[in-house]
Amino acid sequence: MAEVLLSSRDLSIGYEYSLIEKANFEIKEGDVIALLGPSGIGKTTLLRTIFGAVEPLEGSILSNIQKRGDLGFIPQRLGLIGNMSVESNVLNGVRVKRPWYQSLTLSLSSTAKKEVSTAISSLGLKEQSEQLVRTLSGGQQRRVATARSLAQNPKLILADEFLGELDEDNIELVLSSIKQMLEANNSAILMVEHHEEIAQKVANKIWRIENKTLIEQDVGDAFEEVSI
Amino acid sequence: MRKKIIISISFFLILISYLTFVDFKGDWALRNGGLDNLRTFFFESLWPPDWSVLDPRAYPVCERNIGLFCSIAWTGMVETIKIAFVATVFGFIIALPISSLAASNLAPPVVSLIARTTLAGMRSLPSIIWAVLFVVVVGFGPFAGVLAMTFYTIGYLGKLQFEAIEGIQNTPLEAHRAMGMNRLEIFIFVVIPESANNLISHMMFMFEYNVRHGTVIGLVGAGGIGWHISNYLKFLQYDKVLALLIVIFLTVVVIDLSSQFVRSFFNENNDSRNKTWLSVFLPANAVLSKEEE
Repeated sequence: MAEVLLSSRDLSIGYEYSLIEKANFEIKEGDVIALLGPSGIGKTTLLRTIFGAVEPLEGSILSNIQKRGDLGFIPQRLGLIGNMSVESNVLNGVRVKRPWYQSLTLSLSSTAKKEVSTAISSLGLKEQSEQLVRTLSGGQQRRVATARSLAQNPKLILADEFLGELDEDNIELVLSSIKQMLEANNSAILMVEHHEEIAQKVANKIWRIENKTLIEQDVGDAFEEVSI
Repeated sequence: MRKKIIISISFFLILISYLTFVDFKGDWALRNGGLDNLRTFFFESLWPPDWSVLDPRAYPVCERNIGLFCSIAWTGMVETIKIAFVATVFGFIIALPISSLAASNLAPPVVSLIARTTLAGMRSLPSIIWAVLFVVVVGFGPFAGVLAMTFYTIGYLGKLQFEAIEGIQNTPLEAHRAMGMNRLEIFIFVVIPESANNLISHMMFMFEYNVRHGTVIGLVGAGGIGWHISNYLKFLQYDKVLALLIVIFLTVVVIDLSSQFVRSFFNENNDSRNKTWLSVFLPANAVLSKEEE
């Protein structure tokens, strides 16, 4: 029986005005959820509300994700540190899985280095591992942000349009790496996506935001296909 | 419409400045023969500079091969640079945590207000006043100079630092917060690397600034070349003062050019190639055409 990672009760979100009202949802282990809807409808705001950057207008979110580092986030603008190498950015993913007081010495740990190197290699960035992130292309930077989440190995990933700017080969590469990680760890992902086709192929649930309502639809098994 | 507003505001500022200037006019009136007095002072007291300040001092006896290294100008300038260097590094290290508390994107409003007020307080006392206070506490000499300049550096550099920190993008902060990093980790692993270019650039600027101000704090006995200037002023040896001022000027120019060169390595638009020494002196397009040849 899959454990519920996150659920909401009559959740209304937004800023001065509401974007989504009275949403009741559950995210369980192994879920691959694609969140669809036009720009400005509240998809990013829903992710930001889940990790606490925005207060709900009404209702509540109940979370079983209590451990440090069990929530991963890939923002639309990636949130990478441009002045640091690919390795150092990915190492931040490993850092949050360890107690905070180990953070400073973690770059010296051979286990951590191995975890970083595995995540980097699985996304085809081995050659760029020592390069500064700001010198990489948009697509490469997206893969670095994904590698950071892979290295973190969280129970739930919130991903905001993380496949944008990637060509078909790289979309497949990213999706298969994410699939491996989710299956190994029994984790879940909530991904904001613009492409219905991708959503149908990889997700087991599709959430749509229409008229301030969150509509859930089951669409079969997750990752039926990772080829696009 | 926007253009009109900008023109109106510019015109308004110029008008206010002119009216304020007119208001000062009474105080600014030149004394009769003021310019003649200045000319006399310059040619009879200042010019030509007395370069004996570059000769080795009679006491203590110079044990070095090159006499210049025992001169007042050299020893004074080196001491000023040492004071400025130590104060800049100490000031930088102490200002960094304070500025992280002052940055509104990292700290709660109350903490930020307290930290900003502390920095403003340290900054509002000029370094010469700090120097007077520390000369009273620890006596004459470079130690008082280091303390005075460190305190001023914390106030000044802290402000530049928290503004740099506030200027970094919110997305990396939010992403790492969401991932579970605590404040200290975010400061060390996100904020410092993200704002590193600006922090280094500001530190270099502060070093130049401290070298220039090192001459001022010397006037109240806090060590460095300013101490010698102060002594020459007391004995009305203005030609020696002028020689020391020229030495200071040349030193500041060299430091300025070096810091521009060092800072060019931390320029974000400079990923593919580093600046050459030539680019410090010549405009960028001139350097480019020279390299292409």
